[in-house]
Amino acid sequence: MRGTDNYLKRWLRDTLGIFNTELRNILHDGGVMIIFIAAGFFYPILYNFVYKNGILEDTPIAVVDNADCSDSRRMIREMDATREIDIACKCVSMEEARELFDQRKVNGIIYFPSDFGDAIARSQTATFSIYADMSSFLYYKNLLMGAEFVMLHEINDIKMERYSLENPVVYEDINPYNRAFSYSIFLISAILMLIIQQVMFYGMSMSVGTMREENRSFASLPDSYTGHGVGRVVIGRGAVYWLIFMIIGIYVTCIVPAMFRFPQRGNYWEILILLSLFVTVCVFFCMSWSTLVTRRESAFLLFLFMSPVCLFLTGFSWPVSAFPAFWKYFSYLFPSTFGCQAFINMNTAGAELGIIAPQLRALCVQGVVYFVLACVAVYVENFALKHKIDILSV
Amino acid sequence: MEFWKNISSVVKRELRIWARRPIYFLGTVAVMAFCTVFYLSFLRDGVPSDVPIAVVDMDGSSTSRNFCRQLDATQLGKVVHYDDFTSAREAMQGGKVTSVCVIPEGFNRDLQSRRQPQISFYVNGLYFLGGSLAWKDLLTMVNLCSGAVQREVMRMQGVPDSQMYGLLRPVDVDVHQIGNATMNYGAYLANMMIPGMLQMVIIIVLVYSLGAELKYGTSRHLLDVAGGDVFTAVMGKLALYTLLFTLISWTEVIILYKWMHFPLAGSLGTMLLAGFLLVLASESVAVLIIGCVPVCRFALSIGALYSVLGLSLTGFTLPVEAMPAGLRGLTYMYPLRHYYEIYVNVDVTGHVLALLLFCFLPFLVMRRLEHAYRYLDYARN
Repeated sequence: MRGTDNYLKRWLRDTLGIFNTELRNILHDGGVMIIFIAAGFFYPILYNFVYKNGILEDTPIAVVDNADCSDSRRMIREMDATREIDIACKCVSMEEARELFDQRKVNGIIYFPSDFGDAIARSQTATFSIYADMSSFLYYKNLLMGAEFVMLHEINDIKMERYSLENPVVYEDINPYNRAFSYSIFLISAILMLIIQQVMFYGMSMSVGTMREENRSFASLPDSYTGHGVGRVVIGRGAVYWLIFMIIGIYVTCIVPAMFRFPQRGNYWEILILLSLFVTVCVFFCMSWSTLVTRRESAFLLFLFMSPVCLFLTGFSWPVSAFPAFWKYFSYLFPSTFGCQAFINMNTAGAELGIIAPQLRALCVQGVVYFVLACVAVYVENFALKHKIDILSV
Repeated sequence: MEFWKNISSVVKRELRIWARRPIYFLGTVAVMAFCTVFYLSFLRDGVPSDVPIAVVDMDGSSTSRNFCRQLDATQLGKVVHYDDFTSAREAMQGGKVTSVCVIPEGFNRDLQSRRQPQISFYVNGLYFLGGSLAWKDLLTMVNLCSGAVQREVMRMQGVPDSQMYGLLRPVDVDVHQIGNATMNYGAYLANMMIPGMLQMVIIIVLVYSLGAELKYGTSRHLLDVAGGDVFTAVMGKLALYTLLFTLISWTEVIILYKWMHFPLAGSLGTMLLAGFLLVLASESVAVLIIGCVPVCRFALSIGALYSVLGLSLTGFTLPVEAMPAGLRGLTYMYPLRHYYEIYVNVDVTGHVLALLLFCFLPFLVMRRLEHAYRYLDYARN
């Protein structure tokens, strides 16, 4: 009995010792603190500021109205009245409109051919054309949506007028989570969780790199316990990061959305459960991968490009169902893949814990795998130190 | 003569550093190769197909089943059946399906008796591309459904098929997508993401390369090799990096527009010029950063912050005119912004000149950098 007691006590004491050392290291390291504070606290604000408006309205469009009939004039007026389109110029010819388009004074052209009015009068299909600037998809979306709304309305009016033919099927379209297809709501929801993972990774890599440069090791065990203290090191060090990132995490996932009046449809405690699981997995993830970093700055050189890659791998824009198989499996490497999805579903779509169970399960599996990997990394590092083997010399 | 000799000895010294530290190769060539492969293969389909759409068919009639089959047959949509609305809604909240389409009970009956049944669809706008495509698909199918019913009615009234289309569709729109006719999302993103990553790599690697001289205390040796002149030292380093990055940049341009045949408004020559200028301008920004803050790791943090934000501020996703007014001018601080404007072929001369202006930035900080290199007079921690 006494043996167990001693072991437990010792375990706790060692872990606490490592915790203290690591915390002191981080607090005394100006560079790491800058990353944590500047990136962790200011990046969410910065991104919110850039995407504050989120919606592109009144895209300037040129009109060439060769039909010059009451129908085309009415349609032009109606298009101008939509939120999406602003009729900026009425041009006499396509050449003039094209010139404006090439100078990007307008982002699209609407063209009514001379037989437009005649075709309507003859009960034939009257076709008008739109030319959309594809340099940003939002220009295209605005022009198409504005023109199509007016067109559908016009079609129904004409049918009603002529043979009182009303639409046999009506529809209602509801976009409950992002009513106006706001760019900011969809992007910021995905970015917030990613910021946690990336900031932690760069910060931890910096600290590991510094230790390596100073010929210390992040994995050194308490002297009295050579060979058996792997769990103590991983948990002791991990707890420091866990604590710091729970603070940053609560700020990022709860306070930032409130500051910018973002939808917060999730339950606070359930988001906290998700956050604590996510941060735990991130800690082990970062511990495993930061082992590869040998110098203070190399994480930036080698892994900065991964931030946008990870963002795409969350499936926030290109849908997961269309991922090529390789990248789908590749995305399983990152906690952000599941963390971001779960956060989007929970915070912005108001899902409950039960609905995001698949993502939580995946996070748990990742957590176990990365915990083992982090332990292996510490063990290997110690083994190498003891036997004076230089494994990494990048 | 002396100048060129010094330059060449700096270049040789730099080559020795590259040979000793694989990070320079990994951080440039390997990173760019990975990014190219990623963006081109990840988005290779151009437009997603078979986006999952949940259908709750509470009618179960031949008409509603036919509607589901037709929806399933579209290129964009793939129908997933759910028994009740709650489970479909939960699937949408969980991100499994992009939208839910509800066909009400008695749909067929109401349709036959002209009581205007209502189809409802709920779209998850949080997964932007999937959501908006599903929305477009559903809207098209519902309108087609209306048309089909009206056609049947008219047939019974004895309207000949030849006149039918004009009656059913009095107005139509002919859509032309200028600059990306196939609506290829891959082309749209890769076009700017890849140069964006290049801008990031250039800034980070160059800041590191110049900063490492300070960090490892080798800056005096560098100055000695360069004959005591900081201008020669920086030029020598830049010469080698310019060569490497220009090669990478041109390879990317040729891959994008010659091999992948992505749409291009201007000429290939212009893009090669733009690629070269993007390299020069980004290098200048890097020198400016390390000159202003001659501490390796602070400069790197600033460089990282600057270049990550650059991807957003270029304005190829959310256009610049939708950003807050205060930010619009700041977007021109990014070489990538000018590169983008050259790519979309607006005022090419103006933006080429703007990129050339970037090249004067290093001269602003040359003296500061010289001081730092010679006297190592900067804050250590």
